[in-house]
Amino acid sequence: MGKVKIKRKSTLIDMTAMSDVTVLLLTFFMLTSTFLQKEPVTVLTPSSVSEIKVPTANVAQVLVSPEGKVFISISGEADPNVAGGEWGSEQIRKEILRKAVSKYNELHPGKKVNLTEKDVDVFSKLGSFGVPFQALPSFLRMSQTEQDKVITDMKRSDVGIPIDDNKDLSKLNEFQIWMRAIYDSGNENLTSAMKKGEGIAVKADKDTPYSTVQHVLDNLQTLKMNRFSLMTALKTEND
Amino acid sequence: MAQIEQSDKGKKKKGAQKKMSIHVDFTPMVDMNMLLITFFMLCTTMIKSQTLQITLPTNEKVDQTEMNKAKESEAITMIVTTERDAEGNIKKDENGKPKNIVYFYAGKPQLVGDAASGAIDDSNLEQAEFLGNEEGAARGIRKILHNRNKQVLEKIDKLKAQWRNKEFSTNKDMNDSIYQAKAKEVRNDSTLTRPVVVIKATPEASWESLIGALDEMQINQISRYQIDNMNHMDTLMIEAFKRKNNR
Repeated sequence: MGKVKIKRKSTLIDMTAMSDVTVLLLTFFMLTSTFLQKEPVTVLTPSSVSEIKVPTANVAQVLVSPEGKVFISISGEADPNVAGGEWGSEQIRKEILRKAVSKYNELHPGKKVNLTEKDVDVFSKLGSFGVPFQALPSFLRMSQTEQDKVITDMKRSDVGIPIDDNKDLSKLNEFQIWMRAIYDSGNENLTSAMKKGEGIAVKADKDTPYSTVQHVLDNLQTLKMNRFSLMTALKTEND
Repeated sequence: MAQIEQSDKGKKKKGAQKKMSIHVDFTPMVDMNMLLITFFMLCTTMIKSQTLQITLPTNEKVDQTEMNKAKESEAITMIVTTERDAEGNIKKDENGKPKNIVYFYAGKPQLVGDAASGAIDDSNLEQAEFLGNEEGAARGIRKILHNRNKQVLEKIDKLKAQWRNKEFSTNKDMNDSIYQAKAKEVRNDSTLTRPVVVIKATPEASWESLIGALDEMQINQISRYQIDNMNHMDTLMIEAFKRKNNR
């Protein structure tokens, strides 16, 4: 009787094709990804049916925490070499910081803030910032982990850009100094985006009381920045 | 594929090296790639946030009479508010949705009682809710606004149908822009009866409820609206409304 020989098959699976696919996917994700911005507070934006996308370039985002603390993050041109000058995020932040600090020193001659070239450099790499001018030098000289710790601690009194009901344009408060400096940054594309209302994006949590957000809106109105965008998430008419 | 076979083309010599197969195992490579993919997938923001663009009036003193020029029959005032508990947390209803309430009145406030002393018994204030569409039909405050802006919405619906059939232009972008321009024309057409909406929010109203109110303007194609501050009368009216309904 002939014995049926069962051929032993190797269970080895060729992974090359699989590897090819994963590398392709990896390349796709690496190229398309824009990293989540680190923010001092995580906010859940309310939803709306509006489908206008938030711009990624030339925008100043004003983040309002539920406690009413204000943070600003600035992005410059996507391509730093357009618009006749170097207006990438880092350059524009440096320019804005210099303008804002000199304005602050002009308004508060008794409490001048002095920053070194290195401080300005550190500032240009910050995603979002929110400390009073007086605390700025010591904040910028901290290590990154310390900075993160300070800026995410909402109970501290020296976190958040000071803001009040000031309506007098000759005595700007700190938030107004910043917004004015951003407007006067020197990059015309940013200025025109702000005029059109695309350049200012207000972001607040959906549970935040209106009175808190209104404070910021009021300040923008005082600065005659009457057009701006409100950050929302998408929903349909059925929700 | 991942093997490299060394063959010596039939020239077999005695004592020749054994056929060697170099096999590279790609499994760890795939594992690592998968991990990286997972990392990038979780770190990316695929959905960009949307924005709602608004324009606020200037802070400069606007002549009050100028502001109140809006025809009484067209004006509608919305006051949004959110119910909160003693700790300031938002109350939720049975479905887990936050309790956002919108009060509204048409035209001027009509009061029953003595307004000067603050003893208002009743007013033309009514209450509604933010509700989504159900089977394509508007509900809640959306329905009320929809009915007030019927003329505009009817025209826009016609335009929308034309836009869907690409009647303006076969080019997609052209079609879109012509539609947008025509829709804007209709929204601002002063020959139609269009409502003027004044949105007010109480201090405890959530940001979501105000956005909800602005959203209703978009949905109902209302071009004339403004955000205003609460005044004493509005508070009294809400108080009276709550008293009347035993709440």
